[in-house]
Amino acid sequence: AGGGYMDEGKDEERGGDDEGVKVPFGSSCHSHRAPSGRAGDTPGLRGPRAATPSGRLSPASRGRSRRHFKVGENWRQELRVIYQCFVWCGTPETRKSKAKSCICHVCGTHLNRLHSCLSCVFFGCFTEKHIHEHAETKQHNLAVDLYYGGIYCFMCKDYVYDKDIEQIAKEEQGEALKLQASTSTEVSHQQCSMPGLSEKYPTWETTKPELELLGHNPRRRRITSSFTIGLRGLINLGNTCFMNCIVQALTHTPILRDFFLSDRHRCEMPSPELCLVCEMSSLFRELYSGNPSPHVPYKLLHLVWIHARHLAGYRQQDAHEFLIAALDVLHRHCKGDDAGKAANNPNHCNCIIDQIFTGGLQSDVTCQACHGVSTTIDPCWDISLDLPGSCTSFWPMSPGRESSVNGESHIPGITTLTDCLRRFTRPEHLGSSAKIKCGSCQSYQESTKQLTMNKLPVVACFHFKRFEHSAKQRRKITTYISFPLELDMTPFMASSKESRMNGQLQLPTNSGNDENKYSLFAVVNHQGTLESGHYTSFIRHHKDQWFKCDDAVITKASIKDVLDSEGYLLFYHKQVLEHESEKVKEVNTQAY
Amino acid sequence: MVVSKMNKDAQMRAAINQKLIETGERELLKELLRAKLIGCGWKDQLKAHCKEVIKEKVLEHVTVDDLVAEITPKGRALVPDSVKKELLQRIRTFLAQHASL
Repeated sequence: AGGGYMDEGKDEERGGDDEGVKVPFGSSCHSHRAPSGRAGDTPGLRGPRAATPSGRLSPASRGRSRRHFKVGENWRQELRVIYQCFVWCGTPETRKSKAKSCICHVCGTHLNRLHSCLSCVFFGCFTEKHIHEHAETKQHNLAVDLYYGGIYCFMCKDYVYDKDIEQIAKEEQGEALKLQASTSTEVSHQQCSMPGLSEKYPTWETTKPELELLGHNPRRRRITSSFTIGLRGLINLGNTCFMNCIVQALTHTPILRDFFLSDRHRCEMPSPELCLVCEMSSLFRELYSGNPSPHVPYKLLHLVWIHARHLAGYRQQDAHEFLIAALDVLHRHCKGDDAGKAANNPNHCNCIIDQIFTGGLQSDVTCQACHGVSTTIDPCWDISLDLPGSCTSFWPMSPGRESSVNGESHIPGITTLTDCLRRFTRPEHLGSSAKIKCGSCQSYQESTKQLTMNKLPVVACFHFKRFEHSAKQRRKITTYISFPLELDMTPFMASSKESRMNGQLQLPTNSGNDENKYSLFAVVNHQGTLESGHYTSFIRHHKDQWFKCDDAVITKASIKDVLDSEGYLLFYHKQVLEHESEKVKEVNTQAY
Repeated sequence: MVVSKMNKDAQMRAAINQKLIETGERELLKELLRAKLIGCGWKDQLKAHCKEVIKEKVLEHVTVDDLVAEITPKGRALVPDSVKKELLQRIRTFLAQHASL
C-alpha cells in the first residue's frame, strides 16, 4: 500500500488499509458553514453550491480555501511534503517513488490530469473521472493536481486558491528546479543553462506603492515596427570611433541585450565603480532609454584606460583589439575578478560573456608517418581570417571556384567569407622545417594540421586581417570580401571533416540542421589607411532594418549598403535561439 | 492496487515516463517546452483566447474545467511543428542514452 507516501512516523495508524495512513488535512469541506446571513456578509465560504439559495459563490469567497481544511498545527509542513513527494520532486529518491506510485489506481494511466486525494492515498485521473468517483464514494473532497499543484474542491467543483498555499507551492517548485539543475547531467541540462531557462520568472503582481507610481506616471511607451528605441549616437571623445562601433555592436547583440535589460548582472567586484559590467549595464540603459541625443561614453573610456592600459590614450586603436580586450575585462568582472587575479579557466566559466561568445576551436595534428591524430580544443571568442593578397597567406584555390554554399553574391574573382572559412579549415601540410614530435612514433615527423569548429558560439565574430604588420611592409588590405546575411557553419565543423575529405562540401539545400545557422546583425568597417582612418558600423535593428552608426550620427541604411561594404568585423547570431514572432523556417519535415 | 488493463503500447509509454521522471529529465523537458512556447508566442495566443472565452460567459460561472475544455483543442493545434520536432528529438536522444529500456 501507498508507495512513497510519508506517514510522519505514526506507524500504529497503518493497518492493511490505505485509510489508516495519517491524513494531513481534515475532511474537506465539512467546515463549510451553512449560510447564515445576507450575500456578501460572511467573508468565508458560504457552503457548497447546491446548498445556497442563490446557487453560486461570490468571487471573494472562492479565495478562502483554507476554510476547506481543518486547520491543523502542521498543515504547512504536511503540504510541503506532498508537493515534494508527488508534484515537484527534487531528489532522486522522491523522483523514483513518484515514477513508481503516481499512476491512476483505476486505469493505471500516468496521463489524463492525474490527481492525488488529500485525505488518503489514492491517485485518480481527472479526465476519466476516476478521482471524482473516489471523492464521491469516500466523501474526500479535496485533491491536488500532480502536474500543476493546484488544489481542487469537489464540493465547489473548481480549483480553489489561497495566498499562503500559493506561496508554499511557488517555493517548493523553485526548490525542486534548483535541485534538478544542479545535479542533472542529462542532455537537456545544457539547454537549461542558457539565460532565462533555469530561473523561473513569476508574473508581476503590482504592489500598492507600484500601483501608485504607475498612476503618477501615465505615459506608456509602445513598441511599434518603427520604434527607434535602442538607436542612439555616441560622441567621439578623440579618435574613439574604434570603441563606439564595438559598443554599437554589443548593445545590439540580442541575447546580451536581453541579459542587461532584464537587469541580471549582480556585481561581485570589490569596488563596483570600477566594474565594466556595471558600466555596460548602464550603457544599455542609456541607449535604450528613448533619449535621441547622442550619449557621451566618458565613463566607459575611463574604465577602458584603467583595465586595458594598452588601449589608453587618444591615439587611433584597432577595433578588433578593443573587442577582445573588452570581452576579456567583462568576463573577468563577471566573476568579481580584479586585474590582479589569475585568469579563470574559460572552459568552466559560465558568465554571460562565455555563454554567448565562447566557441571551441579544434586543432587536429596528423602524423604523416603513423597517421595518429592529436586533438586539442581551445576556447575562442572570434575567428581571424587571412585574406588573399597578404604576404603570409596562401590561397590554393582560385576564389569562387566552387559554388558558393551560403548564397553569397557569386562573381568570379570575388572572394567570399565562405572561401575564407574554407581556407581557414583546410588541412595544412606543416612542411619538413616544422616537424612535430609524435607521441606514438616517439620521434619528430612531418604532419598536417587542420582547424575546425568543435563548439559553435551563440555569437560568432569574424575578423578579416586587413592590417598587415609584416617585416616587409605595413599596409591595409582593402580587398572586398563578399559576406552573406545568413551563414551555415556546418561545413566548418569538426563533425563535417569526413564528408569534406570525400569532396562533399556542397550542402544539400535541406540539410535539416538549423542549429548551425547564423544571421548577420552587425558589421564594423574601417575607412582610410593604416595610419589614419575612421571606424563606422552597421547594426541590425528589428528584423530587417539596418542603420549606419557613425559616432553621433545614426542614419537608415539598406541591406545593399551593408553587404557592399568592405567588412572588417562581422557579427553573426545563431538563428535557433532567437525567439521572434516569426518561426524558424522549416528545413525538413519527416513523418512521425 | 488495481491491476491496470494496459496494452503493450501503453506499457511502453509508462516505462518511458517512469524513466523520464526518475532521471529528472521530464522536469527539464517541461521547462524547455515552456520557454519555447512562450518564445514563439503560443502562450500569449492562448491567453487571449482564454480571455475571449471568459468574456462570453459570466466570470463567476467559469470554472477551470470549462476553460480546459474550451482551449485544449486549440492549444494542441497551435503548437508549432518546430517545437514538436525539437522535443521529439530530445526524447529520442534521451532514449538512445538509456538503451536498457
